[in-house]
Amino acid sequence: MLPVLIEKVVYKHINKSLLEKKEKFICNLDKQEINDFIIRNDATETYSSFSTLHSEFLQLTRLPKKALIHETIFITEPRIIEEERNDYMILQYDFIYEKKAYRLEIGNSLSEIKELTFTIRFFILIVLFIILAVTFLMDTFYIEYLLKPFNKIIDTKIRRVNEPDTFDHTPINSHSTDFQELDAVLNQMMDRISELFNKERQFIANVSHELLTPIALLKNKFENLLQNNSLDDNAIDKIASSLKTLDMLKKVINNLLLISRIENNQYEANETIDLKELLNNLHEDLKDRMDEKGLTISINLQHNFPFIGNKTLIHILLYNLMVNAVKYNRKNGNITVSDRFLKEKYYLSISDTGIGMNESQASQIFNRFTRINSDQEGQGLGLAIVNSIAHFHHIDIEVTSVPNEGTTFTLLLSNSRKLN
Amino acid sequence: MNILVVEDFKELANEVIDYLSKNGYVCKWANSCSKALEEINSNDFDVLLLDLGLPDGSGFDVLKMVRKTQSKMAVIIITARGELDDRINGLQLGADDYLTKPFALTELGARLYAIIRRIHGFTVNDLNIHGFNLQLQDYKVSYNKIPINLTKKEFDIFQYLALNKNRVITRLQLTEHIWGDILEVNSDSNFIDVHVRNLRKKLDKHTSLEWFETVRNVGYRINV
Repeated sequence: MLPVLIEKVVYKHINKSLLEKKEKFICNLDKQEINDFIIRNDATETYSSFSTLHSEFLQLTRLPKKALIHETIFITEPRIIEEERNDYMILQYDFIYEKKAYRLEIGNSLSEIKELTFTIRFFILIVLFIILAVTFLMDTFYIEYLLKPFNKIIDTKIRRVNEPDTFDHTPINSHSTDFQELDAVLNQMMDRISELFNKERQFIANVSHELLTPIALLKNKFENLLQNNSLDDNAIDKIASSLKTLDMLKKVINNLLLISRIENNQYEANETIDLKELLNNLHEDLKDRMDEKGLTISINLQHNFPFIGNKTLIHILLYNLMVNAVKYNRKNGNITVSDRFLKEKYYLSISDTGIGMNESQASQIFNRFTRINSDQEGQGLGLAIVNSIAHFHHIDIEVTSVPNEGTTFTLLLSNSRKLN
Repeated sequence: MNILVVEDFKELANEVIDYLSKNGYVCKWANSCSKALEEINSNDFDVLLLDLGLPDGSGFDVLKMVRKTQSKMAVIIITARGELDDRINGLQLGADDYLTKPFALTELGARLYAIIRRIHGFTVNDLNIHGFNLQLQDYKVSYNKIPINLTKKEFDIFQYLALNKNRVITRLQLTEHIWGDILEVNSDSNFIDVHVRNLRKKLDKHTSLEWFETVRNVGYRINV
């Protein structure tokens, strides 16, 4: 667009200057000069003159008498002047002087113009780039400056806040009222969230107290009742089964409380955990149950990975996985605990040789109150807890299972992801 | 031995006091923070059983006050899980032990016994049951000075039953005592039987065990 425009302007300018030259020449053209031309009367019947560098030329030719007389026209064509070929913009003007026809041609070299347009184009291009660069830089810095409070709000008020308790209420300095408003609204929102958090926490504490206290009473009453020597076997059985039910009730409540407290971030995760030691302790705890089923366990951990998290919770997580490996195993089966390091990530696998699951079962196991086999005991909360704890610690869990062959739970642990 | 039971739920307090009184403790009851502090200031208690959820505040406030003035009194916190972040928190504030609701009275008895032994500088070290001598401090058992080699779990079971003699102890109670308060629902507590069976086998070599009773479907009892 621009180069075309420039070319047009330049051509127009040349045409204009050619016309001016023509006028000047015609005006100054008098008898004498024509006579000069006539007297010379040489064979070519041409008078021409040109500038030293051939950028311009002027040529007067006598035309045959009967040649067509036409007015001023502009043409562009190559001419050879002193064996140098050039493109010229030529003004042709035919006229009659003393009954003789003449053609006046005034040419202006186009090579110069082409050079000129090229230079202009180049110059414009450079200017364009400079403007572009300057605008870009200006914009970047200006926007950076403008959005500084915004980024600060994002950073200090949202990204770094995992807990409403740690929220910083100090207002962020900003020249713009928009950001001040955003800041204020965020503060309000966080106030509401932390109020809800506190209410929930209070609620959990109340529920545990209000539900577990009566359970404690019943349990104690039944236990005291059991000491009565006049009870017959039937009564003892009933008391024993009531105690079992109470125990189940207690554990369901405690498990639900545990999940809800994990999901409320009521735990800290800043202990360094020796997984090897933890697994060996679990092995000790579960030894009786494994012996009862004749299970063999091999814990071969090749790597030392000090995981940072909450020790109590990780203990519960591994305990639940190990208990599952025991519970759903076949008699005289195996449990294998192994690990590997891959791309800065630590993989811990617990495999059993148990009943396994099909795919649709495997996809449901982390939901609360799901049980794969109705004949198995338990409330289906174990793996829901595993899931909550894993999520809390940013641990990924992978389950692979083949029915009647076994199940493998793989934990993907990494310390880096907790940092953001 | 004087014990102050701080618990706002009257019936539960009655059960606890009933059990403790039968075991020879002298108990008083307070149902709020203010009553508890009143009692503590007017009487001497050896042990404070402290529930955390009280109508006029948290039991922690009582604990803090107690630790400011009286350092000798032993404190056992009784709480529902969820009121406390974890065991360490309670112990850091100066409690001697910690029980989560619902707890077995016999477990409370065992903890009390351990704390009192500690307070009195291990003066009550030995338990004698039908000729068996249990040295609580170093987990040793002997019969007529012949040492019997028991595992830690077998010793714990024997001691727990001996401490709660003449009471039926359920498998659940024993399981919780040995393995702690596990969260697993319907954990099959039958493997406690394996340990009891082994224990009985070891004791049976020395004398007849008709006093070591298996209560059908429920648990065990040591009669004295």
